[in-house]
Amino acid sequence: MKQQEFLTDIEIVEKVKKGDKDSFSLLVERYQKGLINLLFPLLRNYEEAIELCQEVFLKVYSHLDQYDSHYKFSTWIYRIANNLAIDHLRKGTPKIDSIDEKDEDEESKIEIESNDLSPQERLEKKIMEKEILTAISSLDTLSRELIILRHIHFRSYEEMAKITNLPVGTVKNKIFRARKELMKKLEKVK
Amino acid sequence: MICKKIVELLPRFIENDFSKEEYAEIARHLEECERCKKEYEAMKKLIDRLETMPLLNVPKSFKESVMKSLKDLKDKNDG
Ligand SMILES: [Zn+2]
Repeated sequence: MKQQEFLTDIEIVEKVKKGDKDSFSLLVERYQKGLINLLFPLLRNYEEAIELCQEVFLKVYSHLDQYDSHYKFSTWIYRIANNLAIDHLRKGTPKIDSIDEKDEDEESKIEIESNDLSPQERLEKKIMEKEILTAISSLDTLSRELIILRHIHFRSYEEMAKITNLPVGTVKNKIFRARKELMKKLEKVK
Repeated sequence: MICKKIVELLPRFIENDFSKEEYAEIARHLEECERCKKEYEAMKKLIDRLETMPLLNVPKSFKESVMKSLKDLKDKNDG
């Protein structure tokens, strides 16, 4: 028998469908980090992103029989996440995490990295990251999603088209425009 | 004005979404035009920053909590 970590997504899905519900936790393990890093930049609220992330997994689980294995599983799950996020954003006023908030917890949420930077450089990098996130969150929802999918998740245009249910040409035009807009917004910040 | 057009094309240029000829033409302009080159570099830097942003983690208890709510969901359906 194959070791769990070497099972493909589709093999795991098959196991779950056959009644091995516990195997679903393997999919959670594989996608939790990806999803939170899709949902958080979209919602700009960590607690809400976590809640929604949980909702995504529940929906995936309860709709598993609708999954068509001709598609990559990752495309399908991102698509569900994307749709739930859009619904969520439509519903209410976003509770954006305060930019100035000194959040001690934040360090533990973010992967430890860039230890080679001086404290000053780290601070500057952090400020820049917040500015970028703020600029992203001021884009319209679709532009925001596309920027996140492309540049944080490195999705291909074809995958982005499937996730957002748009033609590839539209995805490209829209993201090229979004990049320019982002540049303009960041220039204003400086 | 050519510079305006070039700047319009930069987001596509960065991903090399052009034919060889078109690409070469834009590249030639960037070599000659300081202003457009600056714009190009700023955009590259932005993308670089985006792509190296640190990733967030989910809480350690996340997986368990998902699996628990799945169980609750199932119990509801069964009951
Ligand atoms: Zn020029």
